[in-house]
Amino acid sequence: MSAEPRTILHADMDAFYAAIEQRDRPELRGKPVIVGGDGPRQVVSTASYEAREFGVHSAMPGVRAKQLCPHGIFVTPRMEVYAEASAQVRAVFDRFTDLVEPLSLDEAFLDVTGSRRLFGDGPTIARAIKDEVRRATQLCVSVGVATSKYVAKVASDLRKPDALVVVPPGEERAFLRPLPVSRLWGVGAVTQQQLERAGLRTIGDVQRRSERELRQAFGDSLGPHLYVLGNGLDPRAVEPSREARSIGHEMTFAADLVDAGEVRDTLLQLSQMVGRRLRREGVRGTVVRLKLRHPDFTTLSRQRKVPPTADDLELHRVACELLASCWPGRPGVRLLGVTAAGLVGIDAPVQGALFSAPPKKRDQLLAAMDRIRDRHGEDAVRHGVERHRTTPWGPQRGSGEPG
Amino acid sequence: MKILCDRNALQEAVTVVSSVVPVKTTKPILQNLLVRADTEGITLFATDLEMAARVQLDAVKVSKKGSVLLPARETAALLRELSDPTVTLESSDQRCRIESGGGSFVLLGESPEEYPEESQNKSGKRIEIPAGRMLRMIQETIFAAAREETRYAINGVLLDCAGGCLRLVATDGRRLAISYENIDSKVEFKVVVPLRALNTMVRALPEDGKEALQLEVGDKQIVFKIGSTQLQSQLLETRFPDYEGVLPKSADTTVEVQKAVLESALRRAAILAPNDMRMVRFEAGDNQLRLTAESTARGRADVAVDAVIKGAGGGINFNPDYILEALRVCKLDDVRLDMSDDSMPAKFTLGESFTYVVMPISGA
Repeated sequence: MSAEPRTILHADMDAFYAAIEQRDRPELRGKPVIVGGDGPRQVVSTASYEAREFGVHSAMPGVRAKQLCPHGIFVTPRMEVYAEASAQVRAVFDRFTDLVEPLSLDEAFLDVTGSRRLFGDGPTIARAIKDEVRRATQLCVSVGVATSKYVAKVASDLRKPDALVVVPPGEERAFLRPLPVSRLWGVGAVTQQQLERAGLRTIGDVQRRSERELRQAFGDSLGPHLYVLGNGLDPRAVEPSREARSIGHEMTFAADLVDAGEVRDTLLQLSQMVGRRLRREGVRGTVVRLKLRHPDFTTLSRQRKVPPTADDLELHRVACELLASCWPGRPGVRLLGVTAAGLVGIDAPVQGALFSAPPKKRDQLLAAMDRIRDRHGEDAVRHGVERHRTTPWGPQRGSGEPG
Repeated sequence: MKILCDRNALQEAVTVVSSVVPVKTTKPILQNLLVRADTEGITLFATDLEMAARVQLDAVKVSKKGSVLLPARETAALLRELSDPTVTLESSDQRCRIESGGGSFVLLGESPEEYPEESQNKSGKRIEIPAGRMLRMIQETIFAAAREETRYAINGVLLDCAGGCLRLVATDGRRLAISYENIDSKVEFKVVVPLRALNTMVRALPEDGKEALQLEVGDKQIVFKIGSTQLQSQLLETRFPDYEGVLPKSADTTVEVQKAVLESALRRAAILAPNDMRMVRFEAGDNQLRLTAESTARGRADVAVDAVIKGAGGGINFNPDYILEALRVCKLDDVRLDMSDDSMPAKFTLGESFTYVVMPISGA
């Protein structure tokens, strides 16, 4: 890496799905729009800024959103339209640099270090991108400009919507100092409490500790992580070759699972959630990944390449095979995750199979199940292999969540 | 033990038996082969516990009966290098002295008592088939068996014997090869034989062999016998998919084309098939079969060959590697392709009793 500071942009579309609905249906503009269903088991995909004022946010159960915002307008997601807009936005990014790392349909990192001589400095490029995205899609994007991925991401999120936040080289620590520790990646509610008990409320509090102190207080994994992020040192490169996106779900269990049948049933639930989102977004996975965490927090990850699929049972079958390869039945299981990666479009060519139901019939069956679930809830229809549902603390949404 | 025998015959026998000796094993004793000498000659035997091979040699002068365990790799290498027409083996105390043409070698073996016993096959169902025919049938199917970890990683070939016909069937879930031969027997069995055993058979069976190969099928194992050589293998307990159900019964379009012409055209077109989704389009019409491939990164191929087209015409996409692998073992001058649309399996007729079914690539 050169000694010269990098220029990294984080571009994040503002209330992407909701903004598209408001763009395409003028009657929704200025109104609280909630993309997602209000059914008992449905969740909010995206809420417009008007709805967010009522406390509605993504991944919230639709029922709760309805309580908070009774006059909210619920809109069924139109993934093809969002995917198309996403491709238009991506085309804009590609004009400024070949180092684009998409995180989901609506956000991406761009390394424009090498583009500065061509297009001007970071803030100039950021303004140009905002203008061109607006011209191409009539949508707003917030951009953070910094010397690392982490700081750029915090910056883009700080003054949404339509934000442009620049953190010049050398000012990363000052920029982060007043922010709460919850702004640090990987710091959720539990870790936040842990930090606050140790007297760390702001990132500035973290900056005042040495790496060694943090390591002693929070262990060899979390300690150095806090040190690096807290001081704005995130060295990770923007990786364009990274799999564009993945769709995954994981569950943490209040009581560790020890029964193999229970574990497999949970994998089925996760596979269904993943399969459903794959189908909703019109994509198929070519890699199935299993994540498994033991009570002592050792975490295993196993993956396998598969023919493109969005089929719950196929995901489940592979997940179970991966499970068999790494879990002999003990110790217990604290967390399980299923992810589909290497996503390809639904119209990508597929090598046919001789012995399964014809793909078209299988697709029709899954689509019918999805419709029933949309209308009557997740429990309304099940695959024959499913025995019972486990009740964890509640599913945690996985990666690739649109915001 | 002390024997005098023909070097060539011994070398051949050692080569056959050594083919089941594992390259790597947690039981070092399995890297040996057993030589037993009695009044009827000598027997060579080796096993890896899943497979076993045995060869009997009677053109041997046995001066002293007994048995010895020899390191398989070294024995085979040594016999290859010796130049005399005869060789003497004399053993005492787990050592074996080999004398031939002015050279003398001592191989250190292990105690023959430690070596796994040859399991006696209880009589099973028997059929006979010309060895050369069996070789062809194995070659015509084995390439289509799944090796990678897929849904149909069967790692074996089905031997389906019924109604006076022996069928060999192999599939990886996307393509399926069937080769059959009528036999003079009412015996019925349906077993899955491991690929390893069949690969060993391919090496052991003579090309164009008219000699009879005897199959003896038990509950858990199968024995192949030809002359004084016998190969025994455990059967796989895999359930084989219902292959008859996927054989297409009708087709929209029939293409007849010279095998050599198709093979070379397809090889050329396949050069530009994308790496991530190997795909060549077969388009039938106007007495031509047109093969096209396109890779967004590398370019486009378009090859047309003369063909006799009957029926509606049209196009479907195949993984070219699937077709090329089958054409490589096809001995016909003209092959026939029956195809419909991309949701239906297509059928290649590649021999009088050799059929190959391939699922097309859809949605392209």
